[in-house]
Amino acid sequence: MARSIQSDRVASDPNILTAHQLRKAYRSQGKEMVAVREVSLSLAKGEILAFLGPNGAGKTTSIKMIAGLIRPDQGWVRICDRDPHRQPAALKLVGAVLEGNRNVYWRYTPAENLEYFGILRGMSGQAARKRGAELLEQFQLSHKRQTLVQSLSRGMQQKLAIAVALMHSPALLLLDEPTLGLDVEATEDVKRLIREIVHQGCAILLTTHQLAIAEELSDRVAIINNGEIVTEATTADLIRQFSGSAYLVETEHSIPAERVRKLHLLGVDLQTERSLHVTDVQVLYQVLAILNPMPIVQIQKDQANLTDVFLKLVRGAQA
Amino acid sequence: MIEIFWAELKRQWIQQRRFAIDSIAGIVGLAIIFYGLFLTTQYLAGPTTQFGTRLDSIVVGYVLWTMVSFIIGDIAGGLQQEASTGTLEQIFLSPFPVAQIFLLRELARLTVTLTQMVAILVLLMVLTGRMLTFSPALILPLISVIIGAFGLALTIGSLSLLIKEVRQILSLLPFVLFVTILVPVETWGMPARLVGWLLPMTPGAGILRDLMARNQGLDWGLLAIAFLNGGLYFAIGWLLFQQAERVAKHRGRLGGY
Repeated sequence: MARSIQSDRVASDPNILTAHQLRKAYRSQGKEMVAVREVSLSLAKGEILAFLGPNGAGKTTSIKMIAGLIRPDQGWVRICDRDPHRQPAALKLVGAVLEGNRNVYWRYTPAENLEYFGILRGMSGQAARKRGAELLEQFQLSHKRQTLVQSLSRGMQQKLAIAVALMHSPALLLLDEPTLGLDVEATEDVKRLIREIVHQGCAILLTTHQLAIAEELSDRVAIINNGEIVTEATTADLIRQFSGSAYLVETEHSIPAERVRKLHLLGVDLQTERSLHVTDVQVLYQVLAILNPMPIVQIQKDQANLTDVFLKLVRGAQA
Repeated sequence: MIEIFWAELKRQWIQQRRFAIDSIAGIVGLAIIFYGLFLTTQYLAGPTTQFGTRLDSIVVGYVLWTMVSFIIGDIAGGLQQEASTGTLEQIFLSPFPVAQIFLLRELARLTVTLTQMVAILVLLMVLTGRMLTFSPALILPLISVIIGAFGLALTIGSLSLLIKEVRQILSLLPFVLFVTILVPVETWGMPARLVGWLLPMTPGAGILRDLMARNQGLDWGLLAIAFLNGGLYFAIGWLLFQQAERVAKHRGRLGGY
């Protein structure tokens, strides 16, 4: 269901979102606690940025500063060249689903929530009803349009919260833990919707603790720890950067002693009696020649995933 | 702005219809009070007999008292509830000023409540055969009082944004209202009267007493003072709310409870 996104109207800045050197500190019992320091982020149309970090790292504070809900002590935010802290019109360009919040009224139906929040975002009643019906259809909630939100499943409530955030077709969607507490089916549903939304041109800033989902969905990753961004790169580059160049070779049967000796001479040691690690790519084909004609179960390049990257960076910073 | 008002009115209507038993209980309660006023005005109206002992005056006094206490506490209560249920931040994501949204919400509630009151009064007039006559002149001072009440509502709402828990403050409201609405400032001598007119809603309430209890004509000069008073308190409430919003955003306490 194609729909023009408000970002179409903004051509001057290629970035939908630019957050520059954001800093936020809170005072508690006379002490200053810095929640976020010098956080800069950018996001282009049709792009998903996974914003990752451990609990209390500063993700939600950063997202709320971007949404205009928390005022930064330093730095600035632009959404399609507009400042959400000074220009209320900028809020027409942003939608948000905030973690830990209900985001919608439980004593109203999905259709009523969509219409009400659409009007609050500046739509006419008629346009809000029409858009609401479209979104219910897209989010497969049409059959529940007249059911009270409190009677919906957690997954349906979350889908509705995302639909509400999309009512005014924002250029930027902020999703704070959109799959938290959802079962497998609902998680798959939300992932499908995120892909559809981004395909329509919306830029998405996504925080999640489910790193496999971040790896699957994101174009770029920014990792924040203790209020500071420790890395930002495309997801593929980051994984490549943390992946080794070694290969794991696994045979079906134990490798005979004679072949083991030959492998030793090449500088290759066995990991188990059926597997070996080839760290020097130059000798890979010589290793395979030595093993020939033994049946090989797998040859796999040492590939990191986002969880490995995340843990290395976060633990590295803590060490 | 009109769209938001209609949306709020629709929400009110949905609530009334969806929780029909609660709504009916409220309407029945209101009908019993009004019926009581029709039967024995002095006893049930209590302090609002300040506005005159005729049935019309008692009814207007009661409606004024109810509306003002309802308006003043409701915005703060609404903010508190939205913060605790987790929808407040979604309202703050609206491009419209949040104070405006809550005022329109209040206006919608007021419209529903006033409609119910009028319907009950008409029904009672038909049933009892006792007719009420209201001078159109009452409307203007009533509006000035309501504007002031909205200002006070925003003031308490701004406190609610910052400190979240305002139940104790709200429990003090009847005493504040007692001073501001029921004390006959217009009978005081100068300069005490000038000071009295600075209190919220007092000039408007004074005009209502002049019109209903003392059978005097509308004093346009005093009416201007009443509107100035209402406008002043509204402006103070609006500015305080904007300031509270800024402080809450600075402290990062908008959605927390």
